[in-house]
Amino acid sequence: MTSIDEFRSKAIPDGYYSDLTAELEKLNGQLNAFNGINRLLDSGYPFSVKDNICVKGVETTASSKILSGYVPPFSATVVDRMVEGGFGFLGKTNMDEFGFGTFGINSERIARNPFNSEYVAGGSSSGAAIATSLLRYHVAVSESTGGSISAPAAFCGVVGFTPTYGLLSRYGLIDYANSLDKIGIMARSASDIRYAFDVMRGQDDYDTTCVSTTPTSERKSRIVVITQLLDGCDKAVVSSFEKLLDRLRNSGYRIDYVDVDFITSAIQAYYIISMAESSTNLAKFTGFKYGYKLDRFIEPYNEFFTEARDVFGPEAKRRIILGTLVRSASVRNRYYSKALKVRTMLINKLKGLLKEAFILSPTMPILTPKVSEAKELSPVHAYAMDAMTIPPNICGFPHISFPYDYVGGMPLGAQIISDHFNDYAVMDFVSEWEKGFDYRFKYNLGAL
Amino acid sequence: MRIGLEVHVALPTKTKLFCSCSSHAKEVNSSICPICMGMPGSKPMLNKEALRLAKSISLGLNATVNETTSFIRKVYFYPDLPKSFQITQLSHSIGIGGCVRIGSKTVGIRRIQIEEDPAKIIREDDYTLLDFNRSGVALVEIVTEPDISSLDELREFLTELRSILYYSGINISEEVKADVNISLDNERVEIKNVTGVNNVIAAARYEIDRQGEIIRTGGRVRMETRSYDETSMKTVGSREKETEEEYGFIYEPDLTDFDSGSIKADKPIIASEVAGSIAETYGLNLQTLRELSLFDMGSLRLIQLGVVKDPKAAIGVVESLKKLGRMDVKDDVFYKLIENAARGLQITADILGRIERDETVSGGAKGIDQKAIDDDIIDTINKRQDLLIEYRTNKKVFNFLVGMLIKKYSASPRYVAERLAALLDSRIDRAE
Repeated sequence: MTSIDEFRSKAIPDGYYSDLTAELEKLNGQLNAFNGINRLLDSGYPFSVKDNICVKGVETTASSKILSGYVPPFSATVVDRMVEGGFGFLGKTNMDEFGFGTFGINSERIARNPFNSEYVAGGSSSGAAIATSLLRYHVAVSESTGGSISAPAAFCGVVGFTPTYGLLSRYGLIDYANSLDKIGIMARSASDIRYAFDVMRGQDDYDTTCVSTTPTSERKSRIVVITQLLDGCDKAVVSSFEKLLDRLRNSGYRIDYVDVDFITSAIQAYYIISMAESSTNLAKFTGFKYGYKLDRFIEPYNEFFTEARDVFGPEAKRRIILGTLVRSASVRNRYYSKALKVRTMLINKLKGLLKEAFILSPTMPILTPKVSEAKELSPVHAYAMDAMTIPPNICGFPHISFPYDYVGGMPLGAQIISDHFNDYAVMDFVSEWEKGFDYRFKYNLGAL
Repeated sequence: MRIGLEVHVALPTKTKLFCSCSSHAKEVNSSICPICMGMPGSKPMLNKEALRLAKSISLGLNATVNETTSFIRKVYFYPDLPKSFQITQLSHSIGIGGCVRIGSKTVGIRRIQIEEDPAKIIREDDYTLLDFNRSGVALVEIVTEPDISSLDELREFLTELRSILYYSGINISEEVKADVNISLDNERVEIKNVTGVNNVIAAARYEIDRQGEIIRTGGRVRMETRSYDETSMKTVGSREKETEEEYGFIYEPDLTDFDSGSIKADKPIIASEVAGSIAETYGLNLQTLRELSLFDMGSLRLIQLGVVKDPKAAIGVVESLKKLGRMDVKDDVFYKLIENAARGLQITADILGRIERDETVSGGAKGIDQKAIDDDIIDTINKRQDLLIEYRTNKKVFNFLVGMLIKKYSASPRYVAERLAALLDSRIDRAE
């Protein structure tokens, strides 16, 4: 039984929702899970929405100052479908500005890990993961471009699902990199994810890339581990992961180590493509029509928007500059065009492996870092932390990060990948895992 | 001399290129939505009718239609561009590598691309307003090779292009907008945003003279972008910096590759070719046929129907119907008109009305009373011998008589003039 069915079978006491939002407000002061909590929520199974997904009439900023005060006149298709499906909108979750980050620290208000607030929550869907870890009954509508669901799900010890590219409509998602952006779901179990996924999926005329394909659930008895990915992991992570492989062997899976030597190029390819696209997406923010506005219309347009765009955070500025560089005529063939080729090569290679197997890896190459440690990382080191999450994201493969161990009181996540449109298979895999493993949570707000 | 054009034309789609807003709203900023305003989170949806029209134009321009067509983002910052990038096409444009024949020459077409119009800028003395009704309206841009080598060719090309566009279903009463590239020696000068055929030609003429003068006096033409000032009829250098344009193109990831093959579009009629072959087959005046048909589908249809019956009479009837604005006559009425015209009857609104009501016309089925006209003419000559002397030197008298006879007998001017001249000539010959 899903938590959703369970919740709906129970009598909801008076004041349930107001007590829940009040408790949440209190914790939010420490953890920064939400950019806004809906105090008017009074019915439905609570769902939160990452702050780069539009909810009509509710401030939506993608945690960026340049969108401060922006209230969209329409809701994202997935939000409409959740509301129609009887879910209740709980609030907008915090994130790295525009999705630019792995740790949840590229936001005005740094997201904190619910297990220990000295540690990062992961990003960019930081608030979605924190909320999922705090609330007993809740699903988080979040989004991943290069690992923004897997990373925070792993650090916060929740289940994070990123579907096949195109299965969930992106209409109403404030774009980071359109060819990579995927709306996904975080929850405390694979079955809850499946429920919300079925509520949201289906063709949408407003998103040309959204398809009506029904996903399959083809179970694989073989698991491939890509050696190059493990090579980049901390020892503590590897030793934990090997214990996971042993358990899976014991439950009948065949584990094969496979070399994919160019898989490390996926990081460069991903950052080139995503920065190229994001630098065009961010071009529309000129302080002119919505969000942060300059009122000095007297200035010439170039000076006007240049001044307005000064409010972008440092990581956003870095990506605008690098993204503009890699798509400029003089170097396009060296960077952007080559990155597209690497993506195609990787899709072909991994698709071959996924015909007969799942791919499994740790979700993150390191144990959860402290906020102070994450801040010390150079951009290149920070980008390298996405080594495991980028391959399925750049290829558009469905994948789930699920908790599989606890080290020093902090959760560890592993990531299971399947072929395009075999989305139910990764959910089935995690459901199977959940039968023999209990997830731990520090909070259980709203438990009935 | 090498002239190349980038011609922009609005596609007559009911709705905009990427959203369902009307393309034809009147009140400013009344036809806008999150998509054409580029609001965060909105995505484009491709208008299939725009794709069909653009494919049809591509076929008309003898271009190869790409099996799959996709879009790109052209990034630049300007207040009329809500997303700060324009969605347009480049290497995977709907049409690639076509040509247009003008006389014995061929002008190459590099590309036919679909793109969105920016908003309209309304400049006032001390402020600027924006009307987003135009933002996202479907356009087609036709890029030619620099194959045009004279002003006459330029004019001919524009006529031919507009005819092809007309037969592709484009409203050509809206002026074409073009960027004109001209080079007399090595350096290319681009005149941006010229509106209307006459202005394009005038701008080109000015620019040819200007560059010619520079070369004659031993100077060097500078590569630059200029604009055309309609009032002074001159091109003027723009103040923009002369750097290579850098738009940072990337493919548009919100629009998947479209299967152009699945879009049903017909090659439009090439009216000048049809007119040419009719003129040759039936020995008709090509210029008349072109004037009647290049921008008139109804006219071309009637010509094609009529020439097989009676070529000369058919063209006369079509000319009359064009004057009367009645290209919509039923086929059987049209055939009756040809029969009557062949007998010398002048096609007037009255005659047309009577034939449409199936009434008999003067002279019944026989058409006009030819004997009565001849008798009348002879009678007149007998009464006015001075005519015999004057008619060769004074056309006024002759024309007056023709006019009188047309009215009296509902006869066609050509017929009356022919008879009058013939009878006068025969009398003069006899007198001599």
